[in-house]
Amino acid sequence: MDNSILTIGVDIGSSSIKMVLLESNSEIKVLDHVHEKLRKRNPELVANQLIDYVLDKHSLKYEDIAYLASTGEGESIKRKRGHFYSMTTHAKGGISQNPGAKTVVDMGALFVRAIKVNEFGKVMDYKMTGQCASGSGQFVENISRYLGLAVEEVGDTSLLSTKPEMPSGICAVLAETDVINMVSRGISTPDIIKGIHLSVAQKVIKLLTSLRAESPVALTGGMAMNKGMVQAVTELADKGNLNLEIVTHPDAIFAGAYGAAIWAGFRHKKLEAAMQT
Amino acid sequence: MESLNQLIKKCEELAFDLDFTRAKQWKSEGEGRVLVGHMPIYFPREIVHAMNGLAVGILGGGDKKQIIRGDAYYQSYICHMPRGIIELALDGHFDGFEGFLFPSICDVIRNLSGMFRILKKGKFVKYMDFPQNFQKHIGGEFYKSELMEIADKISQINQVEFSVERFNESIQLFNKNRQLTNTAYNLRKEAPWKISAAEMYSVIRAGYVIPVEEHNEILEKLIELVNAAEGVPQDKIRVQVIGAFCEQPPLSLIRTIELAGCYIVEDDFLLGSKWIQGDIEADTSDPVGAIVDAYINHSTFSSTVYDVDDPKEYRMLELFKESKGDGIIFAAPSFCDPALLDHPILQSACDKNGIRYISFLFSENTGQFKVIKEQAGTFSDSIKLWDGDMVGLK
Repeated sequence: MDNSILTIGVDIGSSSIKMVLLESNSEIKVLDHVHEKLRKRNPELVANQLIDYVLDKHSLKYEDIAYLASTGEGESIKRKRGHFYSMTTHAKGGISQNPGAKTVVDMGALFVRAIKVNEFGKVMDYKMTGQCASGSGQFVENISRYLGLAVEEVGDTSLLSTKPEMPSGICAVLAETDVINMVSRGISTPDIIKGIHLSVAQKVIKLLTSLRAESPVALTGGMAMNKGMVQAVTELADKGNLNLEIVTHPDAIFAGAYGAAIWAGFRHKKLEAAMQT
Repeated sequence: MESLNQLIKKCEELAFDLDFTRAKQWKSEGEGRVLVGHMPIYFPREIVHAMNGLAVGILGGGDKKQIIRGDAYYQSYICHMPRGIIELALDGHFDGFEGFLFPSICDVIRNLSGMFRILKKGKFVKYMDFPQNFQKHIGGEFYKSELMEIADKISQINQVEFSVERFNESIQLFNKNRQLTNTAYNLRKEAPWKISAAEMYSVIRAGYVIPVEEHNEILEKLIELVNAAEGVPQDKIRVQVIGAFCEQPPLSLIRTIELAGCYIVEDDFLLGSKWIQGDIEADTSDPVGAIVDAYINHSTFSSTVYDVDDPKEYRMLELFKESKGDGIIFAAPSFCDPALLDHPILQSACDKNGIRYISFLFSENTGQFKVIKEQAGTFSDSIKLWDGDMVGLK
């Protein structure tokens, strides 16, 4: 008898929406994932369009989905059955994408959060950056735009750096002024970008240190897709002799949605079991 | 016919109207009508109603009144609500009110009554001691004399004579109000997806600033509309929120808790509206005695009541059980001594009974809810996901 169920995880971030369609039985299989930039559109509207798109693509009806879970800023999605907090979903998504990981670092557009997890993906402890924008993906994206780089180019450009130049790192506004100075001083684009990556990576390392993170450390979220960022975190972890293996997954940006879809399946089964008893 | 959304919007406008427009309009519509403002937690509004008055709940300026002069009246370590109230008073929001009642809650409220007296607000200001001795011939007699004094003060203003019939009628109206309020709360407990806690809050709060007859009509309509509503249940945990019995949480805080994966199925917001448990005898030759009897024997529990014979922690557990709660959120206003001093006792009862809880502080003008959302969200996740067996999830 086929006990498989279908679940959807929708992760609404500050700049984009990620969605994962999952089939779970004894194994978990990703049937589809989609990623859409918000571009100042209504998140709920875009999320609904994505849900319809995925359902149509797989010839499914809404009723075929056992549990549609939202995460991130997705509380407003009316078609959801439940909402899981982003720390919970990134923890689960992170260790599922990177089996064996003991720490997950969610590197999103607005903040970075380091989460210590157990083998089930349960959050054991966490630390996160404060309100300052200089530790966020949005900051990196803004700087890239000022320098005329597409987001996809940022990682490779950073890897070309030979002499990185660090900005102040105190706040995004000061760092942006630093970048203007660097440009006028003729610092190369790769060195500026690498400096920015190292500046954000410093904050990640501080979080990992104060959390007493255990290895391996899985990076998730949009910034974890950036090769230059991953390289910067790895370099600083090595330099500080933290003895941490930094790992990531090619679909790291979907970790939140993926975690939400996995928890959705787990929760659905739990509710079914409760109904039966 | 008015839709549920329209009714809720109307109630929200009434509830947060800091000019008390409807109350002042009501006063202007008849001879001898008086407005008497009362602070939280509880005051028997029947007394004012029977004397041709409207008891108007004064619950602070919330997040809708900027404090400019109010801060000069209180030290920084005092809660926010009295600053808002004094700011409202200084800005003339209570002009046209004949009297002000300050039920005993804490020293801060007692001082506030003194400030109103010095500022010569209204024709009378009374700090009202509620009995802590619950024997009828001691606390009951004292309470009765306090209530009669208020009736006398109103009578001196509008020359309305004490009448048993009028008192019985008032008791009947407020009995009906409590019954309808309970019915509405019970509907929410049964199907919290049909009307949110914030919406229900606005409807109940509107009753603090309009005539009880009008509020009863609103509640009847609400019950009809909620019964007819469908809505889709969501997978959220059921929580009891405790601690906000005096200074009220901003509406956005209530919304935040519900958005973060919780259904609030029991709370002590606007506690005065459900203070008396059950009906007060409404066909009696001693109506004030009946009001006193209800207070002595049928009050709910609160941090301001000495309850050695019926400890509040047991009553909290009873409510938790009745509401089929999954967890408790202790949400107290910053610097609220009565609430904060009780929390260790209540939390200890939770520990002993295996009830999960979280706690945080707020103030009526809190505008940042990120941390609270994070706490409530992870609380909800921990109960939904990590409660029990996780084997097979690897």
